Amino acid sequence: MPVKGIRTVTAARNGVGAFILQCKRLDFHYCNFGGSSRGMLAFLTQTLPAFARENPQIEIRVSPRHQKHPVIKGQYINGREKSICVRNLEPEDILKKAMILKDASGDKLKRTKKPITSLNESVRGIWSPYHGDLRGV
Amino acid sequence: MFSRSVLRSLASDLRCTATYSSAAPLPQRACLYQTALLRASQQEPSSQSSTPNPDTPLSATPRAQTSQPDAYEGIKVPSSDPTTTFIIPQTRRDVPIEKQPVAPTFDSPLKVTQSLMSRLPHLVGQSPHYVVAELHARPYLLTEGDHIRLPFLMPKVKTGDILRFNRASALGSRDFTLKGSPHVDERIFECRVRVTGVESEPLRIKEKTKRRQRHTKTAKSKHRYTIMRVMDVRIKTPEELLQEGAVVVEDTEEATKIEAKS
Repeated sequence: MPVKGIRTVTAARNGVGAFILQCKRLDFHYCNFGGSSRGMLAFLTQTLPAFARENPQIEIRVSPRHQKHPVIKGQYINGREKSICVRNLEPEDILKKAMILKDASGDKLKRTKKPITSLNESVRGIWSPYHGDLRGV
Repeated sequence: MFSRSVLRSLASDLRCTATYSSAAPLPQRACLYQTALLRASQQEPSSQSSTPNPDTPLSATPRAQTSQPDAYEGIKVPSSDPTTTFIIPQTRRDVPIEKQPVAPTFDSPLKVTQSLMSRLPHLVGQSPHYVVAELHARPYLLTEGDHIRLPFLMPKVKTGDILRFNRASALGSRDFTLKGSPHVDERIFECRVRVTGVESEPLRIKEKTKRRQRHTKTAKSKHRYTIMRVMDVRIKTPEELLQEGAVVVEDTEEATKIEAKS
């Protein structure tokens, strides 16, 4: 008797019914001493409270990291992590980077050629030569 | 685009509850958006106070309303006629008023032919359905639950927005196809998609060289794409069309037809 794996009955399709943002946590790391963190420090004091208020579904952590460039790290529902270094950036640019991490799906970046991926079976079915009426040549 | 769905649901709701005894019966019930909304604005306080929980369902897709409740707020813009004010739905506060989505105004009721009405129940009854929706003149064959990655970054949409695709060249099921000429009227079907985020491609590096030069230039590109999920693809039944004010006309050659699979 071969061992059979358990088949998955359903596949997750986020957004069909409920929609859950894929980014669950954003970590902001900064350094109090380094000059590359100057924009980040301004961002943390000025922009971050409003950003956090607009996105209540994202957990936001701020922690110092000495002698390192400032970094934003995003944790995603699929378990992956994305990080962007924001050294020497202005607060507005850092906000853009944070928006990139917020909107991302967490998947690895891939090049795809087809715009649509579908889990459904083909609606019209597969063509068969034995069905349908005959057509003259 | 999103607000259109909210508007439509609001309009259909109020049409169901409170329009049959309307004070000013309009000649064409099919031009529903702004007129129905006008009536909605007049009758909303009374209908809401009398029936806090309406008996009729809000819409075919009630979830379409839930994501952004502040879309109900509108800005009243005085029109040329001093007695009426048109409400422009404001879904985005940062978008200027002249760029807000405007509900479509239909100057004539939906015309459906006899043969379309007779064959539509077959098409509606046979699920699943697909729709060939067109976006920037490109066709996308969509079924419910599909994942779309548009070949461009759609401006002015946010994650979680619901869009309604209103231009389709074909609708169909396994055995029947409704072909538009060249497009199907947007009042026949509903196709909603949800914006689920923005993806980007891996960094592409192209080496640029010139002859007899040792110098090589590298050109980098990293495009970003909007990703979406199809929420529903629905074709309306003949009863719904008639209720929304469709007019049955005689068959003509160039009208949209439903073809059976041969």
